[in-house]
Amino acid sequence: MSLNTSTVSSPSPVTNVEGRKRPSTSSRGAYEYVLLTASALFALIAAYFVGTVIWRAVPAFREQGFGFFSNAMWNSSFDPTVPSQFGSLSMIIGTLITSGIAILIAVIVGTGTALAITFLLPSRLRTIAATLIELLAAVPSVVYGVWGLIILTPWFQYTVGPWLAGIPGFDWLFGTTAGGQCYLLAGLVLGAMILPSYVAIGREVINSVSKELIEASLSLGATQWQTLWKTVIPTARIGLFGAGTLALGRAIGETVAMSMVLGSALSTNYQLLKPGATLAGWIATQWGEAQGSNQVPALFALGVILMVVSLSMSLISNRLVARQRRAATL
Amino acid sequence: MTTLHIDNSHHIREHLRERASATIKRRQFVSRLMIALCWVAIGLAALPLGDVIINLFSHGWSSVSSWAFYSQLPAQPTLVTPDAVGGVSNAIAGSAVILGYALLGALPIGIGIGVYTAESDSRFAATLRLVVATMVGAPSILMGLFAFGLVVVQLGMGFCIMAGSFAIGTMMLPVLAASTEIAVRNVPATLREAGLALGAKKSTTSLRIVLPAAITGIVSGAILAISRAIGETAPVLLVIGGSQAFTWKAGDFGEALPFMIYQDASSSYPAQRAQAWGIALFIVIVVFFLSLTARIWANSKQKERR
Repeated sequence: MSLNTSTVSSPSPVTNVEGRKRPSTSSRGAYEYVLLTASALFALIAAYFVGTVIWRAVPAFREQGFGFFSNAMWNSSFDPTVPSQFGSLSMIIGTLITSGIAILIAVIVGTGTALAITFLLPSRLRTIAATLIELLAAVPSVVYGVWGLIILTPWFQYTVGPWLAGIPGFDWLFGTTAGGQCYLLAGLVLGAMILPSYVAIGREVINSVSKELIEASLSLGATQWQTLWKTVIPTARIGLFGAGTLALGRAIGETVAMSMVLGSALSTNYQLLKPGATLAGWIATQWGEAQGSNQVPALFALGVILMVVSLSMSLISNRLVARQRRAATL
Repeated sequence: MTTLHIDNSHHIREHLRERASATIKRRQFVSRLMIALCWVAIGLAALPLGDVIINLFSHGWSSVSSWAFYSQLPAQPTLVTPDAVGGVSNAIAGSAVILGYALLGALPIGIGIGVYTAESDSRFAATLRLVVATMVGAPSILMGLFAFGLVVVQLGMGFCIMAGSFAIGTMMLPVLAASTEIAVRNVPATLREAGLALGAKKSTTSLRIVLPAAITGIVSGAILAISRAIGETAPVLLVIGGSQAFTWKAGDFGEALPFMIYQDASSSYPAQRAQAWGIALFIVIVVFFLSLTARIWANSKQKERR
């Protein structure tokens, strides 16, 4: 193992010294073995993590086959002559709806907020706003769950819901009856929840756009907005994309807040004022009664879907950001 | 494009001027409109966040400011005594114990990985870096499933505090590793080279020169991981089982603050819902306090060094 001297080009003085004294074999002492052990342990944990979740889900996949993805029923049968039915379709669509609404809100409102903080606020307020946003990003999701359940659910049930349900021509979208816990509310709460983390990263990315570029644009006669839209955002787009992917990952994996504001209902009616379920939320709500039954492998199978989606998303975003960085340094 | 002729250049100039003033007006209008929308966005972002904070204080302050909240065990309210909810002492202790065990395991390993990936160029280090970056984004409920599969079932420990610690610890590992790696990498290469040039061994240089220089970043990362872990509900929800008693034994059923919020929030007793707000406010205060201290401490350290 060699020291990382990537910042030093050409043969560095470090290697020269080492080469002369040849201590490289003897210096691989206890300290480096400790580091290596810690790292190996982590690699083992990571492998075991993936393995455990998949292995515990195998019985469900084997029993349900492809039906696990195409079926919207969830019936645990204790009678051995009647097969149990576990399907994740409803949860998959529920997750798509809620995180779709959330990411839409986070990206539109969040990008506007990040731009406003960086370019419109006076400099003294800017630091305060930035600190506040970062602190808010640390508010645990269960707090948003409490807020959504206790404050927003009644408001939705008696004020917002009836109003939306009464809009003529939008029955297909909202349905005709108002509900408290519903897809729309869940999406909004989720959006509010991931907004601070999106803004926190997005603000840094936008802040790193060079001043010269912005001044060049303004000096060519572009208006303030044209500069933001055609210079700042395109320059920062990969970073913003990364922030969005991160926020989306958080939205997809969000558990307790979703089980609190979305309820736990399975139906093939996906109108926005109906209660539903997400992958992660369903695991949490069913967990207690699932113990000791054949539901547990099925819940693990939901975990597998969640894992595949979230891990591949972060892999892709890592790749993209790394490629962008390499392109920037060349 | 029209070609210019000397004859009608006057008309064309007039025409261009009109066109130009029209586009400028349009562009100015669009710009003003969109800038106004940016202000609207900041308002829209502040609205829910402000509402959360206001509700936290208005509903939760009475719990947080009462001594019983910290000293008593929870009680089940009845129709006769709807306000007898007790305190959350066992959940505070439980959260601290779960976090303590988790840190005991995760701190050394996490910092070890971070230092290793920062100092090594090997292929294994590159792989680890990728694994760390991927695991940071893994939903926390998966760690709960993992802890259930491994600790509760495979090791046969049943629902217990240890399983909660394991889930929280696994969740913190990649965060600690990533922040440590950044902190170590940010130490100027000249510092390390100076140590090596003086004849110090790699391990001595690393332990006595690089790590002390990186300590601000490492501690800030650790505090970030802790403040994230305190409010983490999903993993503990799956594996600690819940308990009304006061315990620190790793094999017992446990209780944790966020778990208790989850249970209290859907109660039909207003006093219990108020307690949920109280715990939420308590966690938010602790998290804010931790991150602010980390920030202020890091800033003062940085000034000291200059």
